[in-house]
Amino acid sequence: MSMIEFKNVSKIYEDNTAALKNINLSIKKGGFLFLVGPSGSGKSTFIKLLIKEIPVTSGSIFVAGRNICNLKASRIPQLRRNIGCVFQDFKLLPNKTVFGNVAFALEVIGKPGYVIKSQVPQVLKLVGLYSKMNSYPHQLSGGEQQRVSIARAFVNRPPVFLADEPTGNLDPVTSDGIMKLLSRINLIGTTVVMATHDKSVVNSMRRRVVELEEGEMIRDQKRGVYGV
Amino acid sequence: MFRPRYFFGETFSSLKRNFLMYFTAITTIAITLFIVGIFSIVIYDVQGIMNSIKGQVEIAVYLKDNISEELKVYIENEIKSWDEVDTVRYISKDQALERFKEQNEGSNILKEIQGNPLPASFELKLNDPEKVDQVALRFLDKDGNYIEGIDEVVYGRSYVRRLFSITAIVGTITFLIIAVLVLAAIVLIFNTIRLSIYARRKEVEVMKLVGATNWFVRIPFLFEGFLEGFAGSVISVVVLYFLNNFLLIIGERAIVDTMRIKDLAILGSGNVTIFIYVALLVLGGLVGIMSSGFALKRYLKV
Repeated sequence: MSMIEFKNVSKIYEDNTAALKNINLSIKKGGFLFLVGPSGSGKSTFIKLLIKEIPVTSGSIFVAGRNICNLKASRIPQLRRNIGCVFQDFKLLPNKTVFGNVAFALEVIGKPGYVIKSQVPQVLKLVGLYSKMNSYPHQLSGGEQQRVSIARAFVNRPPVFLADEPTGNLDPVTSDGIMKLLSRINLIGTTVVMATHDKSVVNSMRRRVVELEEGEMIRDQKRGVYGV
Repeated sequence: MFRPRYFFGETFSSLKRNFLMYFTAITTIAITLFIVGIFSIVIYDVQGIMNSIKGQVEIAVYLKDNISEELKVYIENEIKSWDEVDTVRYISKDQALERFKEQNEGSNILKEIQGNPLPASFELKLNDPEKVDQVALRFLDKDGNYIEGIDEVVYGRSYVRRLFSITAIVGTITFLIIAVLVLAAIVLIFNTIRLSIYARRKEVEVMKLVGATNWFVRIPFLFEGFLEGFAGSVISVVVLYFLNNFLLIIGERAIVDTMRIKDLAILGSGNVTIFIYVALLVLGGLVGIMSSGFALKRYLKV
C-alpha cells in the first residue's frame, strides 16, 4: 500500500513559473525517499504541496489513500497532524524552552497535560536532548536545534515525516547524527521523505533517490546515489 | 476545544515575554483614547453652554392697557394649549414696574416716571427654542397686524436667528472633529496591534505547521488584543475622570462665579460623561479585539 502518491501533479506559480511538471510517484508505507536536485528544481514545492501550504495546479496527491487536493480548509490541520515536518531553518520558537517547543505541538492538538508531561521527555530522550530540556534554542548548537525540531515533528508519532534540507545548515558530523535519527524514525514504520542536495548524506545511506530538474522527474532509483 | 487554562496561560506568559511591546501598545491606545475623550467632554460642554443660552430665549407678549379681563384669560388659555410652550408667566403692570425699579435702582429715570407706563405681559418659555419664530407668528393676523389686545411681541428676532445658525455650525464642526478623532483612534489602535502581531508572525506560522486550527491560533491573540485595547481605555478613562472632576468642573465653577452667568449648566458632570467613559471602554475593547482578528488574517494563510 502506498502512503504517498502523486498522480500527474503539476504546480505552476502565479508568475507562471512551473515548479513541478507532471509528477507521477508512489511511496509505500514505511518507505524512505531522497528528493535530490539543485536549488529551484522543485524539491521545496514538493514538500509544500504535501502539507497543503500551497494548492496544486493540476493532478492529485494522495496521503494514506486520501486525495488531499479537495480537502476543505478546515481539514488541513488534521492532515498536518499526521505529517511531521522539519525545515532547514528549524522554525523553533525562540521564547520557549526545548520542552516548551516540543510540548507546543501537543498543546496545539489538544493533548492533556499529563500526556504532554510523559511524552515530551520520552521523545527528547530519543533525540538525545533530555538533559537540555530547559534550555532555550539560542543556547543550543545548530545540530541540537535540528534535533529539537525533529522531536517536535515526531512527538505525536505521525505516519509521515517530511524533512526539507534538514542538514542544510549543519556540518558533516552533525549531519550524520541527524541522519541516524531519521533512519531510526523510518525503522519504526514511519514513511520519510527528505529533500536535500547534500551529496555525502545521500551516498552514505543508499536509499531510494528521486531526482528533480527544473520541475521534472529525471530519475527514480532504488538504493541510489546523489549523482549518476 | 476551548481550554481556558491553556489560553489564559498562553496570554499571560506572552504578556510577560513581550512586556515592552504591550506597554508601548497600551500607552499608545491610552493616549489616543484620552484625546478622543477630552475632546468629547469639552465639546459636550460647549453644546451644553449653547443649549443653556438657547434655553434663555423667551418671547415677551405685551398686552394693551385696555385689554378686557375675558380676552386676557382667553389668550392665556390659548397659549397654554400650545405644545411648543413650556411655561407661561403673567406679569401684571404692577409687577413690571416693580421689576423695572429693581433693575434701575438709584437711577434718575425713576424720578421721571409718573404713574405706570409699563404694559402687562406674558413671558413664554418654549420646549424647543428653535420654534420661536413659529410661535411668535401666531400673534399676527392675516394682514400682519397684532391680534386684538396685543401691543407687541418681542423675542430678539435677528439675535435668535444668528444664535441658532451659530449653534448649528458649531454642532456640525464638533461632530466632524469627534468623527475624525474616533477614526484616527481606530486606525492607530489597529496599526499598533498589527505591529505586535507582525512581531509574532513566526509563532503563528509554526502553530499552523504543526496542525493548529485557525481558532486555536486566534483565541489567545484576540484575547490579547482585547486586553491591550481595554487596558488602554481604562487608563484613559481614569486620567479623564480625575482631569474632569478636579480641573474642568472647578474651572467651570470659577467661570460661572466670576462671570455671574446664571443658569449656565455646570458641565462635564452629568450622565453624559459616564456615557463617554463607557463608550471609550467599549471602543477600546472592541477595536482591540477586531484589530487582532483582522491583522491575524494574513498570517493564518499558511
